[in-house]
Amino acid sequence: MAEQNKTTKEILRAKLGGRRRTPLYNPAILEKMRQEFEQWKGSLVREEDRQNWHATPHTLLGSEIPREMLYTPLSSIDFDYMEDLGHSGQEPFTRGIHANMYRGKEFTMRQLTGFGGPEETNQRIKFMLAHGGTGVNVLFDLPTIQMYDSDDPLSKGQVGMSGVAIDSVEDMDLVFKDIPLDKITVSLVTHYPSNTAILFSMYLALAERRGIPWDNLRGSVQNDITLEEVVRSGPEYIPPADCFRIQCDNIEFIRQKIPLWNFVTFNGYNLREFGTSGITEMAVAVANAISTVEEMLRRGHDVDWIAERLAFFWSPASDFFEEVARLRAVRRLWYKIMKYRFEAKSQRSMWMRCHVQTSGVSLMREEPLNNIIRAAYQALAAVFGGVQSLHVDSYDEAYSVPTEEAALLSLRTQQIIQAETGITDVVDPLGGSFYVEALTNEIETRILDEVDEIEKVGGYVTAIDRGWIHKKIAEFFYNERSMVEKGHIKLVGYNIYQSPIGLPPIHVFEYPEGVEERQKARLARLREQRDNEKVNTALAALEDACKRGMNVVLYTLQCAKVGCSEGEMFKVFKKAFGLWKPPVFW
Amino acid sequence: MAGQIKVLLSKLGLDVHNRGVITVAKELRDAGMEVIYIGNSLPKEIIRTAIQEGVDVIGVSSLGGAHLTLGGELIEEAKKERLEESMAFVIGGVFSTSDAEKLQEIGFDGTFVPGATREEIVSSIRKIVFDKTGRRS
Repeated sequence: MAEQNKTTKEILRAKLGGRRRTPLYNPAILEKMRQEFEQWKGSLVREEDRQNWHATPHTLLGSEIPREMLYTPLSSIDFDYMEDLGHSGQEPFTRGIHANMYRGKEFTMRQLTGFGGPEETNQRIKFMLAHGGTGVNVLFDLPTIQMYDSDDPLSKGQVGMSGVAIDSVEDMDLVFKDIPLDKITVSLVTHYPSNTAILFSMYLALAERRGIPWDNLRGSVQNDITLEEVVRSGPEYIPPADCFRIQCDNIEFIRQKIPLWNFVTFNGYNLREFGTSGITEMAVAVANAISTVEEMLRRGHDVDWIAERLAFFWSPASDFFEEVARLRAVRRLWYKIMKYRFEAKSQRSMWMRCHVQTSGVSLMREEPLNNIIRAAYQALAAVFGGVQSLHVDSYDEAYSVPTEEAALLSLRTQQIIQAETGITDVVDPLGGSFYVEALTNEIETRILDEVDEIEKVGGYVTAIDRGWIHKKIAEFFYNERSMVEKGHIKLVGYNIYQSPIGLPPIHVFEYPEGVEERQKARLARLREQRDNEKVNTALAALEDACKRGMNVVLYTLQCAKVGCSEGEMFKVFKKAFGLWKPPVFW
Repeated sequence: MAGQIKVLLSKLGLDVHNRGVITVAKELRDAGMEVIYIGNSLPKEIIRTAIQEGVDVIGVSSLGGAHLTLGGELIEEAKKERLEESMAFVIGGVFSTSDAEKLQEIGFDGTFVPGATREEIVSSIRKIVFDKTGRRS
């Protein structure tokens, strides 16, 4: 029982503190090396470099970790290969979750698609699949994300922009027209627990309609409270505790009924892009994951039953080696948490599986073609870090959603890494680098320290409710803005090496016309043609389930089947849970 | 405080991204302006609040693609209330260069795209207010 009051950091220290280490390096030789190192420093290293032995890269969303000028075995004198790295596919999984990594399974090339009405997005999905994309990744428009129907007054002028409009199961059907749901892996970017319950129910209803057993569906949803309550600006929110409940309802339902589906993708990406370091990004996601596993245990589930399918979503940004090292660091940390804090039995439960998206805020408007290079390096770091799935941002995204050409280029970026560089033939190629291993260690410590902070505030949901996270982020991005403006963070073409000549403008994506009218007409037809008695019964049952603590997804599913719209379901959530006002720090 | 430029900031419609507008709110306040931030709103509500609060500037943020539709509606509502001479209208967010021009054409006094610095935004707003109303902060 005393265990429950200990933080994760304390538990890990207690359980791992006494472990026997077998250092790789011979101490006598290390001592000799140390003398030689000092000699080298004295004779071949400039005074200036001796004084400034550590340099700190200043990058967007970077963690400002100081780096030594040169890393040697002396940087990790008690390096123990089996304890600290293990081989790939072996505890502690630093080197990768599978022994053969990309030789066995290539990273999934999962580029986002989403704009206009379902018909338009259907076309773009087919285009990406035809050009070698191996996973579908659907992004919804703002009304759909925020759970308002296309004919809601709040949605006016925004239907089908920056994502696809989905109002009901009918639209879901159109988005996936002629696409075999049982033959491909589909990520539905349902950011929030609330819209996951609603939109994924539509997807499941669609599968049923097509006679596809849920057992054969593969893919993922985001389903993350961080997105609904922390990194979102919206007109209406339900309280964090209710949002977290829905997150866990989704997990429970999906785990039970759709065995191959990834029911949560801990964020990660959007939090960091909102404005925080790569360390905080991972600490928040890990704290969220810990709270989630705890809740699922409290609900009486077995830890392996839940943990085998947990997944994460990260944002590879500009500091190349930090990005590689932190993926390895969080992989090892997650293993330790699952094995020693939660006592998972299955190896799979200990794997930090992840999808990544290259950093959006690092894309500049000036000289947009530069962004191709930025995204390429970020994608490269991700591959060196051993990720499972990748989306590469497109060069024109500081202007609009990508054109077809830009989206294709992003896909080619992945394919060139995979097919032309030879990198994927070797597992964890940077493993053993004195630098990478030292940085991996440093980052792991820092992530756990921040997890500890969050747990001491009272856990992740409390940290949200109190505005603790919101405040931390607001401070970070305000500071970063000033770092950019002072030129400490250098951005090529923007505040350094600015072009004296104006470069020609790029061709920017134009949204298709008439989407809003079409969606409104479709909704009107739906409302006329469906059995409205069944609709009302289903919505009433959903409200009842919300209030009585039942798993809401059983009820959102029924709503989806009888043709309820997303807005109608969200109204029920609002009614049942009431509204919450998040803090805004400025 | 007499003479302070008063600014109303809002997210346009259902756009989820508020990092930019929060940063700008702070910067304008640090520059001595009075700032009211009302979160996500639609044009009618923005205009109503602007009139209520007697602001000098209405600034909206849009990264979700609705800058011409909702931005256009904002200007229309402003014209209905005959505010276009007395109030300044600025918009920030993600839109193409040609859309930025269109926004100026329909009545926005200033447009800010990714990369706009604190200095640019603050001094532009001061200049726009002065040009329009003769007032300095």
